[in-house]
Amino acid sequence: MAFRAAMLRHIRVPVQNLTLKRPILQSWSFGNPTRSMSSHGDDHLDREEVIERVLSVIKDFPKVDPSKVTPDVHFQKDLGLDSLDTVEIVMALEEEFKLEIPDKEADKIDSCPLAIEYIVSHPMAG
Amino acid sequence: MSCVAPSAPSRAEILSLFRSLLRTAQKFSDYNIREYAKRRAIDGFRLNRDVSDPSMASSAYSEGKSQLEVAKRQAVVYSLYAPKVKSVMDVKSR
Repeated sequence: MAFRAAMLRHIRVPVQNLTLKRPILQSWSFGNPTRSMSSHGDDHLDREEVIERVLSVIKDFPKVDPSKVTPDVHFQKDLGLDSLDTVEIVMALEEEFKLEIPDKEADKIDSCPLAIEYIVSHPMAG
Repeated sequence: MSCVAPSAPSRAEILSLFRSLLRTAQKFSDYNIREYAKRRAIDGFRLNRDVSDPSMASSAYSEGKSQLEVAKRQAVVYSLYAPKVKSVMDVKSR
């Protein structure tokens, strides 16, 4: 017991170490500390990024000629797809952006510009 | 089940059924079943895309409806016996 007490008296925890730890802890918490954790608000995806990802999803669709895909193509008029293909593409976009587009909205999306517009303005698109 | 003269399903109804089948297909936990359900839905709709006879269309539509119920039920059942190991196809290579 006496030995233990002597040891404890000898061992000193350097105080400056504790103060050093603070900034490390702060930077650990979700990157920028001023940013809110809410997924709403200004968390929208960048338009350029959305366009790029939408185009890559469409290019990956087996029936589409990738060289024809531009940000303003119409699925049926320009790419020669039918309504079933359009449903498939919209589903693929839902999967890519982790969205669930209600039937009513999904039925309206029949071209690249509309798809991009919908995803850019969707708060939950990720 | 019903003895009313079948009327052809509307275009919107058909697309909505197609979408529901694809959505349900995604719920299967097993890669192979998930892909099969998706492929089966797509092939089934492709096969009947040129059906113009209203009674044929409506019987295909009700067949699709009943398959949707089967798929929904099976997705729940299979989720109880989900594979413990992911399919290699599920591992993202990107």
